[in-house]
Amino acid sequence: MGPASAGAQDRGTAGGPEVIEVALEGTAKEGKKESSKKRTLAGCPVEGLLQPAKLTRAELYKEPTSEELNRLRETESLFHSSLLRLQVEELLKEVRLPEKKKERIDAFLREVHQRVLKVPSTPKTELTDQTWLPAGVRVPLHQVPYTVKGCFRFLPPAQVTVVGSYLLGTCIRPDINVDMAVTMPREILQDKDGLNQRYFRKRALYLAHLAHHLGQDPFFGSVRFSYTNGCHLKPSLLLRPRGKDERLVTVRLHPCPPPDFFRPCRLLPSKNNVRSAWYRGQSPPGDGSPEPPTPHYNAWVLQDMTLESHMQLLSTVLGSALGLKDGVALLKVWLRQRELDKGLGGFSGFLVSMLVAFLVSTRKIHTTMSGYQVLRSVLQFLATTDLTVNGISLCLSSDPSLPALADFHQAFPVVFLDSSGCLNLCADVTASTYHQVQHEARLSMALLDSRADDGFQLLLMTPKPMIRAFDHILHLHPLSRLQAACHRLKLWPELQDLGGDYVSAALGSLTTLLEQGLGSRLHLLAHSRPPVSEWDISQDPPKHRDSGTLTLGLLLRPEGLTSVLELGPEANQPEAADFRQFWGSRSELRRFQDGAIREAVVWEAASMAQKRLIPHQVVTHLLALHANIPDTCVHYVGGLLDALIQSPKENSSTGEEALAAAVRCYDDLSRLLWGLEGLPLTVSAVQGAHPVLRYTEVFPPTPVRPAYSFYEQLRERASLLPRPDKPCPAYVEPMTVVCHLEGSGQWPQDAEAIRRVRAAFQLRLAELLTQQHGLQCRATATHTDVLKDGFVFRVRVAYQREPQILREMRSPEGMISLRDTPASLRLERDTRHLPLLTSALHGLQQQHPAFSGAARLAKRWVRAQLLGEGFTDESLDLVVAALFLHPEPFTPPSSPQVGFLRFLFLVSTFDWKNNPLIVNLNNELTVEEQEEIRSGFLATRTQLPVMVIVTPQDRKNSVWTQDGPSPQTVFRPPLDMYDVLIRLSPRHIPRHRQAVDSPAASFCRGLLSEPGPSSLMPVLGYDPPQLYLAQLREAFGDLALFFYDQHGGEVIGVLWKPSSFQPQPFKASNTKGRMVMSQGGELVMVPNVEAILEDLAVLGEGLVQAVEARSEKWTV
Amino acid sequence: METRTLPAPDCNSQRPPPLPAGKMVARRGKRGARDSEPGIPSPPGYSAIPIKFSEKQQASHYLYVREHRVREGTKSSWPQKRTLFVLNVPPYCTEGFQVAYVVFQKPGGVSAALVLKGPLLVSTESHPVKSGICKWISNYADSVPDPEALRVEVDTFMEAYDKRIAEEEAQAEEEEGVPDEEGWVKVTRRGRRPVLPRTEAASLRVLEKERRKRARKELLNFYAWQHRETKMEHLAQLRKKFEEDKQRIELMRAQRKFRPY
Repeated sequence: MGPASAGAQDRGTAGGPEVIEVALEGTAKEGKKESSKKRTLAGCPVEGLLQPAKLTRAELYKEPTSEELNRLRETESLFHSSLLRLQVEELLKEVRLPEKKKERIDAFLREVHQRVLKVPSTPKTELTDQTWLPAGVRVPLHQVPYTVKGCFRFLPPAQVTVVGSYLLGTCIRPDINVDMAVTMPREILQDKDGLNQRYFRKRALYLAHLAHHLGQDPFFGSVRFSYTNGCHLKPSLLLRPRGKDERLVTVRLHPCPPPDFFRPCRLLPSKNNVRSAWYRGQSPPGDGSPEPPTPHYNAWVLQDMTLESHMQLLSTVLGSALGLKDGVALLKVWLRQRELDKGLGGFSGFLVSMLVAFLVSTRKIHTTMSGYQVLRSVLQFLATTDLTVNGISLCLSSDPSLPALADFHQAFPVVFLDSSGCLNLCADVTASTYHQVQHEARLSMALLDSRADDGFQLLLMTPKPMIRAFDHILHLHPLSRLQAACHRLKLWPELQDLGGDYVSAALGSLTTLLEQGLGSRLHLLAHSRPPVSEWDISQDPPKHRDSGTLTLGLLLRPEGLTSVLELGPEANQPEAADFRQFWGSRSELRRFQDGAIREAVVWEAASMAQKRLIPHQVVTHLLALHANIPDTCVHYVGGLLDALIQSPKENSSTGEEALAAAVRCYDDLSRLLWGLEGLPLTVSAVQGAHPVLRYTEVFPPTPVRPAYSFYEQLRERASLLPRPDKPCPAYVEPMTVVCHLEGSGQWPQDAEAIRRVRAAFQLRLAELLTQQHGLQCRATATHTDVLKDGFVFRVRVAYQREPQILREMRSPEGMISLRDTPASLRLERDTRHLPLLTSALHGLQQQHPAFSGAARLAKRWVRAQLLGEGFTDESLDLVVAALFLHPEPFTPPSSPQVGFLRFLFLVSTFDWKNNPLIVNLNNELTVEEQEEIRSGFLATRTQLPVMVIVTPQDRKNSVWTQDGPSPQTVFRPPLDMYDVLIRLSPRHIPRHRQAVDSPAASFCRGLLSEPGPSSLMPVLGYDPPQLYLAQLREAFGDLALFFYDQHGGEVIGVLWKPSSFQPQPFKASNTKGRMVMSQGGELVMVPNVEAILEDLAVLGEGLVQAVEARSEKWTV
Repeated sequence: METRTLPAPDCNSQRPPPLPAGKMVARRGKRGARDSEPGIPSPPGYSAIPIKFSEKQQASHYLYVREHRVREGTKSSWPQKRTLFVLNVPPYCTEGFQVAYVVFQKPGGVSAALVLKGPLLVSTESHPVKSGICKWISNYADSVPDPEALRVEVDTFMEAYDKRIAEEEAQAEEEEGVPDEEGWVKVTRRGRRPVLPRTEAASLRVLEKERRKRARKELLNFYAWQHRETKMEHLAQLRKKFEEDKQRIELMRAQRKFRPY
């Protein structure tokens, strides 16, 4: 039996870590080195902060030992880098079964073996007479139709053997399963048991009897049924130890026929073994048409027959090759992270082991390869080989009686034959699943070849659940609906073959249907596999409809999403009928501009958001038309979050169009600026520097048309003012545009003078724009506001050398050196970094149309959590840009929804402490430069902000996160407890309508709905809540933090800073808002909370409705 | 009487000088002194005066005041004896909590202020102080720029600037080529033979150029020892990287980063 023979292999696997240990120690042999290792490590676990390695010169330059050289050479040839090698070793250590547990499992297996052999026999009965079964156990099979010929009796198994990964040493944690093949004695089976599910009935009864006896045995903690790999005809029995070891291991008993009981030639894919007369209760049509083949049924019988031979094959191949075993373990982790390995038709660990065996037999993998190389070779093979077209075979025999690969291709979507040449190992794998595996393999190969990123982390450690991997998701529920679909699709032969599993039967047809319908919009369609359930032995087995929902994932092609037209063939072509049949009533005859008259389908979609959701229309239409699945059963998750970035009065668009209109207006303005006549210096560049101009403003601006009666008018300055007696006017934020003027000797070289010259230019700009183009302008010393077509732009004149002049310092010796000052940094940020960032992200939007939506959802979310203050606009934009530029292990998002979900995942998992987020805009950074940035980051970590975001233009400083977020903001738990809430009056919240829960009614904001003459400058940037917040932070910033959602928030949350509430000794510089108290005879200062609470109301007079103190924390 | 607000000693931002606090103190100051009760604790050397925004408020802040004094010998821009030093001026008088120096015409004002009992009121019916919406609207109105004023300011400044530059140039031209008392001649950018400006960047550039010139002449991996050293350098790099990798692994292990699911 198994465990005994496993001994040799156990030793083999145990050798793995040992060898590695030796190699590791080889580098750390000297005591000195040991201590240095400890030293460098000592600091880091405490703070969890990495530090650059500190090695003395002697340590760095000592003569290498031969072990060290060997290891280095090995790392270079077998692995990618030393880090990858170490990571892989650590991962294997984590997932591999420790020796101690193996011993306990072996003991348990021996017990199971003995107990199974001791189960008593039963007398012979008809298969349909199941009265002998005791009350506490139900047959783990749906016996439809019930009547079947044949007799059954239970006899103890002829043999019980351990098969599968446990023996091979490739099983991985956390769930350890040991498969045991229980060979039923020959006497139980009869000649024609291969027919009409008789074998499966007996198999189920055999298990039921076993279950009954083992279930009474106090030795087992749990005895339950499950479906083997989700196949409804093949239950298996799960045994777990009692007591503390209950979760240690699950033993799965698989009954199987005696070897050579069934003749393989009768189980070939073209044969029928389920008769229509029996299954459908009707004789086959009298015209003598043949019985439909039952390839899947046949394959399931064959699988049971080959359990042991496969085991032998695998143990010969993997036997002593450690690298191969490591490789299989890594592949299993890889598959599991992608949710590809579970359920009927999953790409299981067994399949990849066989694939490795195949690649060894074709010499694509060598037994001396490392685990990493095996992983790579298998991925490479999967990426480049399409098993749905060119199947592969382990069979070496050239027996002409064996069927050809082509025969298998007819019966199965994916073909991989075992060594007998009769069994398709991929019998249950659907084409979609295989294509998904291929897609994943290609992505992973690209990732491994790119070198830039942390391949290990992305390849093996990042889970890829469907919801984050696919742009759109749809759930089909309830599943019973698929039964009707099978009938509509005329899938009776498939049902007969699959034993009534209508989910599996319909799956292939449905995916083909949708793939055809989605056409150029679709990149990949994937489906979930029904989960493998477990049930108690006293219960009936779960039905097909009990496996929850069927989930389909759509990976979309952004370029295909722009079209609303499905172009069909010309009306007189024969294919036109097919097209009409496929699209049903949606297909119409249309005349096109080139004169052709064609069949075509036109979808209703005006905005980008609606175009993105055309797949929804396609899916519901086709499912209803061809599969009789009404749209109430299709739960489409594609645009659920769209409502949050729709402007308050518009629900057909998510704002991309409005943003584009603003950008067009900006383009016009920039042309005007370029062509302006009469400026003393020419314009050298006009650059946008506002979120609108990079498509990331949550609520895009709309053209302003003020109703004058609503405002105070300041005629002499052509401006409108808010009126105290009216609700505050609409919020209009000017869009910043930087206008660079050419360098020239005319510019003064003195900061103060430059400021005045710039102011003169601002004035001149306003004059010229008014004179030459009739635009309303308002100039200040730093900018000129320009009203154009209802949009307001804030043009800032910039002189390229100004930041440098601000940096100049003259030493006493007259040497001029350059030192950053706050003013120079600010100017550089506003006139250099911001325009560059804006144009790079503008470009990104052209490449990835979903960027805008994702970035805006992300910002909206952060602000709705009242965390907006801690994050600059730009830092959030960059984080989202990273999701598009470095999507690995995913593909770039094609819908805002998936972009946003990945944003949440990144924010929740990224280790900001030890990693900079590198956003490689325009792909300007080379791999070496990124490496340099990382090491530079480690060396200066403590001086850098909490979040560090690096771009090609900003390699060291992380400009956009300098002032926040603070560690408190990033790590503060979801907030529901504020110390004080300040409720605001909606009357004075200009953006009230943007609120997450859109208000039923708000106030008139003094805008006309019709275009009118607008010659007066509207009220700009007037947002009372923001003014109020600025005052609060100014006055009480030392004592409290203030949180607010700028998008229509009605409440400001206040958190007292605990450190400020510690009583402090009197200090003249630190009296702000405090009062002196005598405490224990000493005079101390504490915040004067009562007075401060009243201040909150005083400062916000008119805006504040109520100030609610919610906690008593401050009573010292 | 003159009153001005200064930023707190530890803060360096400039603020417009708001007035209400001073006015109010002065008005009360004239009314004369009552004996201050010892009820309100105050730091040594200071008196505490309660202050409220208006009648409506319940709780009050406290101004801590003392006479403005400086150590002997240090210069102060505030007149001795006549200046009151006020801490903790509430935010509706100024922006944020501020420190104020109130200068009285007569030294008596200071002593009168020191014994004020309060509570003082900032906004009264006769002297209302704007806050909230009203204040923001008037701030907005004030912020609407007057281009004429800006133009005048720019022109005056530039005129003065141009004049200054012209004078400097004239002076530089005069000194051009004229040796000073020790006989040194100053070489400038504008002279007959202009030189590089003396900046750090320029000198670094020169050094870098030199270094590159030297490096070009040097042979690489020519001698056996050079070869050996390059190899050793490579090995040292690998070792360093390995050490860092190990540290990274250790950290990840501590964070349980190797649990795949």
